[in-house]
Amino acid sequence: MAGHEAQAYQDPGTPEEQSRRQFLANATLAIGGVIGLVLTVPLVISLIPESLIKPDKAGGVWAPISAADLKALEGATGTPVKITFTFKYADGYIPPANDTQFVWGIRLTPEQQANFKKNRPDLFGNPADEVHYPVINMGFVIFSSVCPHLGCRFAWNGDAKRFICPCHGSQFTEVGEHVAGPAPRGLDPLPFREQNGQAEVTWIQYKSGEPDRVIVAYS
Amino acid sequence: MNVLTWIEQRTGFVSMTVDFLTEDVPGGASYWYVFGSATLFAMILQFVTGIFLTFYYAPSSTTAWESTNYIYHNVPMGSFVISLHFWGATAMIALLFMHMLQVLIWGAYKAPREIMWVVGVILFIVTLVLGLTGYLLPWDMNAYFASQVAINIASSAPVLGSAMQQFLSGGAGMGTLTINRFFGLHVWLMPAALALLVVVHLIVFRHNGSAGPPTDRELKKLPQGRFWPNQMFMDAAASLIVFAIIVLLSIFSPAPFDVKADPTTRFIAYPAWYFLALYGMLRVAGQVPGALVPIANLIATIVIPTLIIVVLIALPWIDRNPSRQVRRRTVVLAGTAIVMVLAIGLSVYSQLAVQKEQAENPAPVAAAAGAQASLGTATGGAPASNQTTTGTNAAAGGAAIYAANCAGCHNAAGTGTPGTYPPLAGNETVTGDPKKVIHILLYGLTGPLEVNGQKYNNVMPPWKGTLKNADIAAVASYVRSSWGNKASAITEAEVAGVPK
Repeated sequence: MAGHEAQAYQDPGTPEEQSRRQFLANATLAIGGVIGLVLTVPLVISLIPESLIKPDKAGGVWAPISAADLKALEGATGTPVKITFTFKYADGYIPPANDTQFVWGIRLTPEQQANFKKNRPDLFGNPADEVHYPVINMGFVIFSSVCPHLGCRFAWNGDAKRFICPCHGSQFTEVGEHVAGPAPRGLDPLPFREQNGQAEVTWIQYKSGEPDRVIVAYS
Repeated sequence: MNVLTWIEQRTGFVSMTVDFLTEDVPGGASYWYVFGSATLFAMILQFVTGIFLTFYYAPSSTTAWESTNYIYHNVPMGSFVISLHFWGATAMIALLFMHMLQVLIWGAYKAPREIMWVVGVILFIVTLVLGLTGYLLPWDMNAYFASQVAINIASSAPVLGSAMQQFLSGGAGMGTLTINRFFGLHVWLMPAALALLVVVHLIVFRHNGSAGPPTDRELKKLPQGRFWPNQMFMDAAASLIVFAIIVLLSIFSPAPFDVKADPTTRFIAYPAWYFLALYGMLRVAGQVPGALVPIANLIATIVIPTLIIVVLIALPWIDRNPSRQVRRRTVVLAGTAIVMVLAIGLSVYSQLAVQKEQAENPAPVAAAAGAQASLGTATGGAPASNQTTTGTNAAAGGAAIYAANCAGCHNAAGTGTPGTYPPLAGNETVTGDPKKVIHILLYGLTGPLEVNGQKYNNVMPPWKGTLKNADIAAVASYVRSSWGNKASAITEAEVAGVPK
């Protein structure tokens, strides 16, 4: 191409000219570097997900439960009750939409609480678990309605006094202890609290099929 | 150097790069030659920032505005990145104008550079299409209404107008399919065409060598300068200045963003500055005597732009003058100057007209521009309708009712809003069957219609329930007897007698 016939490059010029050209070459590369850097920084920053900057926001939302459900929960000594609640679910820029979920709740006496801690070694003392909230709050324990085996919805069987999953027959006691079937762990507890006289829960999805509790998604 | 040698032996990239940079610059390096490379730099900036915007943007009528809003308010530095893209577009088109103007003035399009010039003109058109299609994507008020004007312009083409309008919109009206279509054009087809054509442009440039200064002397006999590093440094310095201006504008004057597009609200659209001249022609065409409007529209929107493109492409063959010296090329330079003066004049004219209309019809949404709440609360634009009524004072004259309810779209002078809302002055439907006029006023009108040869596709709201029958009669009588219209008055009884 042109390189071979370019006249301007035949004569290397005076040492001053050579030194000037070297300066211009370096300056050109420096300008490229400056532009590249000033551009790269905001572009890379723009890729940082919101959840990394404001982790609280992705930490799930507290959904209120109805007064009737709370009343049923207060009387649920020995037999778990089903609690249905609705929360706002925001997925990225899509306008927040309502999502409805249900959970199982039970109330434990102080004596039962002590047993609970004893009978659920999977929950207490497993450092791999991502359960960063009190499992028992004011004597209440809330369980996710998703089977830890493969994610089916289990139900309370009053005759057997067991939670039984219809998909593969995993069975759990009223305090979520795994007693039969293929499930790799006991039932997953969910956060529960009282805020200004209102009982609230947070919906969390845990990864199924593994002995440890790994959070897949909040809400 | 060992690494470079190793790479060179296996790829030849090093010698290729050296070869590419080893180039004579006739007459020596000069800041006069930076416009092409500065345009190229702006293009690369658009590619890079555009790619990062697609990490968030989603094209559909339920997500376009929402995802853009997310970029503005939730993405870290998102407002800065989108502003870089916005100002980068302006810079690219401004630099492209300068580049073309210089080639025109210096006669650099002449043999043997005709192909390069033709490719350049196509690049110019592709860039304008990119500007037009990108304008719609945020799907805010201005995006919607400005794009509607553009699409309606296409519909005024003879014979194929309606088909063309629907082809551009992807349907009968503007909606989610239009966004998809414009997205495909803006993000895939046009950038691909641009990249390919730029490569062709550069290869042809290297084949012919730099055009050098506007002289009739043989370029090879001029003293030669070096492209690398002398000219390259000047190119880089110019790009740095352009980049610094874009960054400063992005920081201190971020890209505007209105509330979500709401087709039922009136909005005075403002076209991008590089389309103001075309828009100005459309406005001028709307002011000729009624019967000539269709022809004037056709000339303004189709004939003149097509003619400009044809003349530009054919210029190397139209201009047979062999000289490149500025003082020997009076005809072409005078023609260029006249077109430039006209374009600037039309741009200023339509900018002032838009500003005047906006001042006369303050849209309540304008104040909300750029002041959107973050996502949690902004669930989509539901701006208060500004089509408020004067109420139902039966004594109010037709003129007052018109000023309060109709002038926003149809204009105080009954001339309508070019390309968006039809004129009432000289409109045969308005002066025709009273029953039809009453029906439109009572029950509204939606969908494509043609007035004086110009096609429209918009929404006329129904006024039944908002205006009393007496008000409808008064305003109908007013529009039928104003601005040169000479049709009979309409009574309240006539209004009451029109069935749905």
